[in-house]
Amino acid sequence: MNSTFILFCRREWQLLFRNTANLVQPLCFFVIITLLFPFSLPLENELLSRIGGGVIWVSAVLAILMSLDAMFKADYNDGALEQWLMHPRSLPIAMLAKVFIHWVATGLLLTLFSPVLSMAFRIPTDQIWVLFIGLLLGTPSLSLIGAIGAALTVSLHRGGVLLAVIILPLYIPILIFGAGMITQSSLGASIDSQVYALIAILTLAITLTPFAIAGALRITIE
Amino acid sequence: MKFLSTIWQFLNRSFFRLGSPREFYKISNYVTPVFGLLFLVLTLIGSYNALFVAPADYQQGDSYRILFVHVPSAWLSLFIYIVMASAAAIGLIWRMKMAYIVAICSAPIGATFTAIALATGSLWGAPIWGTWWEWDARLTSELILLFIYFGVMALYYAFEERTTAERAMAVLAVVGIVIVPIIHYSVEWWSSLHQGATVFREGGPAMPPSMLKPLLYNALGFTFFYGYILFLRARNMVLDNERKSKWVQELVNKEHNKEAH
Amino acid sequence: MIDSQKAKEVLLQAQELACTRGDRRLFESLEFSLSEAECLHVIGSNGSGKTSLLRIIAGINHPTKGRITWSGKPVLNNHSSDTEFLANLAYLGHKDGLKNELTSVENLSFYRRLENTFDPNQIDRDLAQMGILEHADISVGKLSFGQRRRLAFARLLRSEFKLWILDEPFTGVDAEGRELIEQICLEHLATSGAIILTNHQSLEGSSLAPHLSELRL
Repeated sequence: MNSTFILFCRREWQLLFRNTANLVQPLCFFVIITLLFPFSLPLENELLSRIGGGVIWVSAVLAILMSLDAMFKADYNDGALEQWLMHPRSLPIAMLAKVFIHWVATGLLLTLFSPVLSMAFRIPTDQIWVLFIGLLLGTPSLSLIGAIGAALTVSLHRGGVLLAVIILPLYIPILIFGAGMITQSSLGASIDSQVYALIAILTLAITLTPFAIAGALRITIE
Repeated sequence: MKFLSTIWQFLNRSFFRLGSPREFYKISNYVTPVFGLLFLVLTLIGSYNALFVAPADYQQGDSYRILFVHVPSAWLSLFIYIVMASAAAIGLIWRMKMAYIVAICSAPIGATFTAIALATGSLWGAPIWGTWWEWDARLTSELILLFIYFGVMALYYAFEERTTAERAMAVLAVVGIVIVPIIHYSVEWWSSLHQGATVFREGGPAMPPSMLKPLLYNALGFTFFYGYILFLRARNMVLDNERKSKWVQELVNKEHNKEAH
Repeated sequence: MIDSQKAKEVLLQAQELACTRGDRRLFESLEFSLSEAECLHVIGSNGSGKTSLLRIIAGINHPTKGRITWSGKPVLNNHSSDTEFLANLAYLGHKDGLKNELTSVENLSFYRRLENTFDPNQIDRDLAQMGILEHADISVGKLSFGQRRRLAFARLLRSEFKLWILDEPFTGVDAEGRELIEQICLEHLATSGAIILTNHQSLEGSSLAPHLSELRL
């Protein structure tokens, strides 16, 4: 029970419930952004049900983006990152655990909540499932890729906007495949290829990004 | 075998020689004007052929001639990204100062070529397709590439400490090269879902030699232009980064003496 | 008496160490060595690179040039894969790496688990030694600065750490706390450990004086 991954997961999990703001805020942000759309569009149920999936995806991307800035900030400010940097244990594995818990608190929570919003948008039931699976497969990649950006900007005082500029272009493929699934299924076509694409991206992200995150942290924390 | 190992050693030595800012500066004294000259000659030949020798297109008339700027720019926008990311990777692996300089000096040039490719594309599209912008795969992925260039530059200039900035920028550039192909294919796939692949096909595979020749000349000319600008910018940056070092001080003193005479 | 007669092993050696920040050259061709039971006091004015030197040894920063050896073996340029060296090392900087949201025990337990030396009784003993056992279950954010500092030092009380790297260890602690810290430093030195520290004041009058050697930047 002393593996690096489990130790860091436990620690992050503990911290999550000591500071519930981290848990509540991204979810609130997600819901509010989603609700902005019905207010700014003509109130036609048919239109809302058609764009609902895309709206929820964009909101999820933005909510995760907003939460990234804080991912390493606290650990940077209190010196915990320095300690891990000079620790014999593997930094990439530790960071993978950290991103995993971050995803549980943001991506997974949003995904679990998405069916409620989907119903508000009057998305048909079978497409709610498609959206759910898409978010479940896509949001971990968002957290992992975003963590590279968070690590690169952790030492900057106002890194938030910069973080968005460097990370959002990299989010586009996930958005395309995730939202594309809903379009496909609404046309009655198979969504297999999108699911495979999202799984491929996730596999790639899990194997490669921890090293990029660790490398980025070693560079920016000097 | 011995021959091969001599060649290898030579390459190895010249690689690491170029890695030293001072050696780079010396070599660039000769290389920079050569690149400039090659650019001028090739582009002049290419442009003359493009404007006066190549026949008008039977459908598009003369307006297709923007292709001779558009295609080389689009090609360079990708080529420069590859150069930038490779240089960044070399910098991270061998901790080579010059590689970082090449990477960061390439970024604005690459961004400019991307912007030119987008602008000429939309200028071309306006009369031919009847629209400035189409959510087409090529256009969209080129636009995303432009934003990735912006991100790389923004990250570099956000740091005060140069060594940190160089390495952070390099990480992003390397991450980008993994993702650029994914973006390219995802976008291609996504837009072909919405509309038929009828809108935009690459220049047409069957291109008469009279059109192909100026295109190749221009592409090569533009590449040397990139090399020329890259060397000019890199020379500046080398002098700025190494301004405290002895050899730059000596150089400055020499220039002063020249002026005094 | 037997101990002092035994030849002291050289633990850490630095050769040709150099560090530049931007255009500023902080230090150049720095050479020093550190033996068992020795306390190296790094002295220098503000901005002379004391903290940078400490962070370079800890592997957080990279030197511009030079190399470091540990027990005669060169430390890898890239510290991150040199687990043997890193396992011997404890670094305590301006930031202590403690989480405000967690209690003293939880903070300490996390680090002990990471280092595979988790033992709840030992943690209690360490906290008691630092005089903060009554705050064991209070979240660290509510501790005073001095108490927090003591907790940070409680983390170092482990025989596996042969080298302590302490950046300004005495700032913000009261006279009693300072005495306590000096005491555990002495005990660490007595078990043939070594310390590198910076301090803006001279350590001449302190109880560490007999073990002290100085390095001027």
